[in-house]
Amino acid sequence: MSQYYIGILILICINLLAVLGLSLMTGFTGLFNFGQAGFLAVGAYTATILTTQYSVPFVAALVAAMVISVLTSFLVGYPTLRLKGDYFAIATLGFAEVVRLLVENLEKITGGSRGIPRIPTYTSLPFALGASAIALWLVANYVRSRHGRSCVAVREDELAAESIGVDSFRYKQIVFAINAALAGLSGGLLAHYVGFIQPSMFSIVKSTELIVMVIFGGMHSLTGAVFSAIVLTSLPELLRTAQAWRLVAYGALVVIIMVARPEGLMGSWELTPANVKALFARLRPQRDSELSSAEDVELRSAREGK
Amino acid sequence: MTTILQQVINGISIGSVYALIAVGYSLVYSILKFSNFAHGGVLMLGSYFGFFALTLLKVPFWAALPLAIVGAGLLGIVNERLAYRPIRIRNAPLLYLMISSLGASIFLENFTIVTIGPNFRTYPEVFPIQPFMIGELSIGRLDIIILVIAAISMGLLTWIIYGTRVGNAVRATSYNMRIASLMGINPDLIVALVFFLAGASAGLGGVLFGIKYTVWPQMGILTLKAFIAAVVGGLGSLPGAVVGAMVLGVTETFAAAFVSSAFRDLFSYALMIIIILVRPGGLLGTVTGEKA
Amino acid sequence: MPLLEIRNLTKDFGGVRAVDHFSHTLERGGLYAIIGPNGAGKTTIFNLITGIYKPTEGDIAFDGEDITGQVTHQIAQKGIARTFQNIRLFSEFSVLDNVRTACHRYARYSVWEGLFPTPRRGREERELAERSSHLLELVGLSDRADEVSKNLPYGHQRRLEIARALAQEPALLLLDEPAAGMNPDETVDLMAFIEEIHDTFDLTILLIEHHMEVVMALADDIVVIDFGRTIAQGTPDEIQSNPTVIEAYLGTEETEEGQYATA
Repeated sequence: MSQYYIGILILICINLLAVLGLSLMTGFTGLFNFGQAGFLAVGAYTATILTTQYSVPFVAALVAAMVISVLTSFLVGYPTLRLKGDYFAIATLGFAEVVRLLVENLEKITGGSRGIPRIPTYTSLPFALGASAIALWLVANYVRSRHGRSCVAVREDELAAESIGVDSFRYKQIVFAINAALAGLSGGLLAHYVGFIQPSMFSIVKSTELIVMVIFGGMHSLTGAVFSAIVLTSLPELLRTAQAWRLVAYGALVVIIMVARPEGLMGSWELTPANVKALFARLRPQRDSELSSAEDVELRSAREGK
Repeated sequence: MTTILQQVINGISIGSVYALIAVGYSLVYSILKFSNFAHGGVLMLGSYFGFFALTLLKVPFWAALPLAIVGAGLLGIVNERLAYRPIRIRNAPLLYLMISSLGASIFLENFTIVTIGPNFRTYPEVFPIQPFMIGELSIGRLDIIILVIAAISMGLLTWIIYGTRVGNAVRATSYNMRIASLMGINPDLIVALVFFLAGASAGLGGVLFGIKYTVWPQMGILTLKAFIAAVVGGLGSLPGAVVGAMVLGVTETFAAAFVSSAFRDLFSYALMIIIILVRPGGLLGTVTGEKA
Repeated sequence: MPLLEIRNLTKDFGGVRAVDHFSHTLERGGLYAIIGPNGAGKTTIFNLITGIYKPTEGDIAFDGEDITGQVTHQIAQKGIARTFQNIRLFSEFSVLDNVRTACHRYARYSVWEGLFPTPRRGREERELAERSSHLLELVGLSDRADEVSKNLPYGHQRRLEIARALAQEPALLLLDEPAAGMNPDETVDLMAFIEEIHDTFDLTILLIEHHMEVVMALADDIVVIDFGRTIAQGTPDEIQSNPTVIEAYLGTEETEEGQYATA
């Protein structure tokens, strides 16, 4: 496979990590995070500074990036997670802006607006694929667990969730932390794929792209998140000519989705064996169902006879 | 002493611009209960309308200003019709309105970048820039003018909202839209009016900001300041938006002048965090809970 | 020891006193009711008990423990469950999942096990599913277990909300206007249902209701509130003939002979 396509695949994996975290936090738990780029930046700069200035091995640097990102989420989350949806969303926007501010002004550590060049490109395709596959497995496990259900309950009706014993604040902290870990990892991998980082890579534009991916595929579906990550990462790369209009299209796309089909492409449909079977059953041509109606009558009467 | 006074005036001046933006934001929030992110886009385009009125159409300032204001107001109405009304009438969750507003804001900002261009623009010199001198105190002429224009506009807005029948209808709708409509108030008209007023004040804020500083496609980020102002003063409260904006403007200016101008915005966010932690209803607000 | 003791409970919202020195004692196994005109403060009392509001004055003791000012989820875990006036189901969840989410006594596996499945998680999940299905059978909803709960008819949604509360295995069940919006047939079903769960599950029940036939038929003891204050308490018979109660509900009528309460 040519370097070009390998590159796109790696980018898909890097985006997928960030999108999975957002899907869990925003889609499944209803916490609107408009500042994902801030966590990407925290992860990217932490990992980069460790590998370039302190010769820390790659994996250790990534782990450190995730840890720092998680700690940041606790710091940011403590005053903001108890707030209503709008407040929290804008607080995350503010957080991303603060990160950008700090990065641009703490020049001695971060290289300011020029950023950090000549980062060793440790991110290989197997590594990126492995990381995102594991992340997908972990998040899917979480969503199917009782904790995942409690998070969805918090999204659906926080008051009712509290009334049945769900500690909504704690669960919000947990998904915020998981999101931070995934975003931090994503940032670290991004830095060591592109080979340099600059604050302009972690602007509100990046946060927006990631949110659009979550909305496009379907906020309540991990399959949708994967699908979006693949489509919305590769399409712009393959259509490099219309770059300038890409964000204009994104903006319009978000409005259109919200007006026409807010559940996104997949709604809450997941790619599970059961669901796929059901889908094929519904798509089977009419003739079969006519033929089997006689069978149905037999089956029904047999069932009722019992 | 003179520096402090000067900074206070600076602070109040920028605060009054924030107030214009924050009031529009709070108006929409109090009626429809959601944060309109596209407010920034309207502000930005209002600023561009004024800029092009002055540079392309070459009209005098006193014609350009109303053009920009009305243009921004109309843009607000169009925004509502296209991006919010279809969602609103389906009784969809407020979250969808917020996401749609995000989309609209991204669209407006990037459409401007692609069509008009990403460059910063400077308003032509509309007012002479020599400062007033009172003894040793140098007071920016521009600051005073901005303050006066903003104050007059706020006064006008206050009169409309609190002193007219239409304003009463707006306030009634903000308490309970359904009951207001049962009383014969047309909610669609009220919503259109509110978005016009919000857009108009945002446009005015954009023009004033453009005159004092600069015009650029991403200037919509100023709405973040408006949000901080609204939170500090009390979300949903119009007087709160003004008070919050003034507090924010002065705090920011002092922080920039006496601590560090690069980290000015950090102080703005810090102010918001402090208010959220210490007095979540805002300086003028009351804390309301959900009805169980 | 009484199960719930409320003493001098008072709640002010700004200048409005919603609950005014309300006191009540619930003994284990009883079926109690609170009635009163709209806006009398009944739901506010529920919200105070479940920690949604903090009282301005007064205290609440549950099973001997002071729970005043505790947080809602803590109180729920201690054994108090409630339903809401406007049904608050997790509408996108299936019927089964609504119940499963409330069964926190039977699954204790940690968040880490949520990310990394262990045998213990598998076991606990199976037990959760079994217990939830069993509960659905008991309340007559098992044939709809996989349906999305927002698609259920109103009466079934009510039942589901109650089932979800039962899944918490509470000692005290608070029902806020369970018969709201029901026609006479549904109301009769509901009454039988409440009686049944009261006996089967060894519950103490406190209910708020406007449908008088429900209250009079089910409750052992009724408290009547108006303007946040208790105006009467007693058995159904005592309450029905209490003139203060009649006046509070129906008002008085003026005639040439003077005021008298209309019955």
